[in-house]
Amino acid sequence: MSISLAKGANVSLSKEEPGLANILIGLGWDARATDGEDFDLDASAFLLAETGKVRGDHDFIFYNQLKSSDGSVEHTGDNRTGAGDGDDEVIKVDLGRVPADIHKVAVVVTIHEGESRRQNFGMVQNAFMRIVNEATGREISRYDLSEDYSVETALIFGEVYRHGGEWKFRAVGQGYQGGLAPVARNFGVNVG
Amino acid sequence: MAVSLSKGANVNLSKEAPGLQAVRVGLGWDQRVTDGSDFDLDASVYLLNEGGKVRSDADFVYFNNLKAADGAVEHHGDNLTGVGEGDDEVVSVQLGKLPADVAKVVFAVTIYEADQRRQNFGMVANAFIRVVNADGGTELARYDLSEDASTETAMVFGELYRHSGEWKFRAVGQGFSGGLGPLARSYGVNV
Repeated sequence: MSISLAKGANVSLSKEEPGLANILIGLGWDARATDGEDFDLDASAFLLAETGKVRGDHDFIFYNQLKSSDGSVEHTGDNRTGAGDGDDEVIKVDLGRVPADIHKVAVVVTIHEGESRRQNFGMVQNAFMRIVNEATGREISRYDLSEDYSVETALIFGEVYRHGGEWKFRAVGQGYQGGLAPVARNFGVNVG
Repeated sequence: MAVSLSKGANVNLSKEAPGLQAVRVGLGWDQRVTDGSDFDLDASVYLLNEGGKVRSDADFVYFNNLKAADGAVEHHGDNLTGVGEGDDEVVSVQLGKLPADVAKVVFAVTIYEADQRRQNFGMVANAFIRVVNADGGTELARYDLSEDASTETAMVFGELYRHSGEWKFRAVGQGFSGGLGPLARSYGVNV
């Protein structure tokens, strides 16, 4: 059975799924049913060292840089409307190939042009992040974002991290009102 | 070596610190980097009698009552954001100066306005509480709040208690729902 996490909570993926090697990080949300601009949510991943920062700009995986240099993290492509059931964007992580000096993979979701379209996460329905064992297709854990008060346009949705020899997943659900730039800067990426 | 506690662990540390004279309890966490209300963690201490209650409200040491028992217990000040390295709040206890009718000293950590701010320990980065032997600085026990108490907003960390003329430390590591007010009331404080 999949473990549903509350904001802030964590689960050991290694304990729940012994022998886990490859995971799919699935992100989903509902297409806009009301009038107005579509919700275009973009997933990105930051490979972070023990310091909480990227080693270089190449550790920032997003729609313009779909794969990490070592191949351990791969973004499978952009979905611009949220159309379709299930995962709208997927990031694959080969846990065994994640470099030893990478402590954490933070998964961030931003609303494309959220400011100019006057959109925030409080308006997006049924957004979720889930962790799936790629080999079996089994969902190990999920985090359903259920915050209708949220004013952020960029959200650190969750993180997959090393802890005592295991891989864990934490539901973070914290972010910024300024879009992708402040998140990227916080993680040490040079953005214009 | 410090004993790192997991959920609900109950460890007797008399072997680690025989003849314990004074301890410091340290509470640390990282400042919030995301948008939203600051994370404000508070350390509190309760001096309890044999019955498990405070003798008076003065035995409740927290950010608005920094000293008790003629200075045997001293809270070194409130930190509202987690700014700074290492321990962000420290409470020191001189065991030999505690009155004879204090049988137990309980240490707790709470998140200020956790309900209103919709916060829990798991949202706070690198939050911990630890107890250090003031003589020599050896860490006796530590609890990783971010990781192992992630969905809690308040926790009873541990207690010092008298045993055969000595003070011993027992780790408790149990969550408490309701925050600082209800926790203090549970020990007989009028708040």
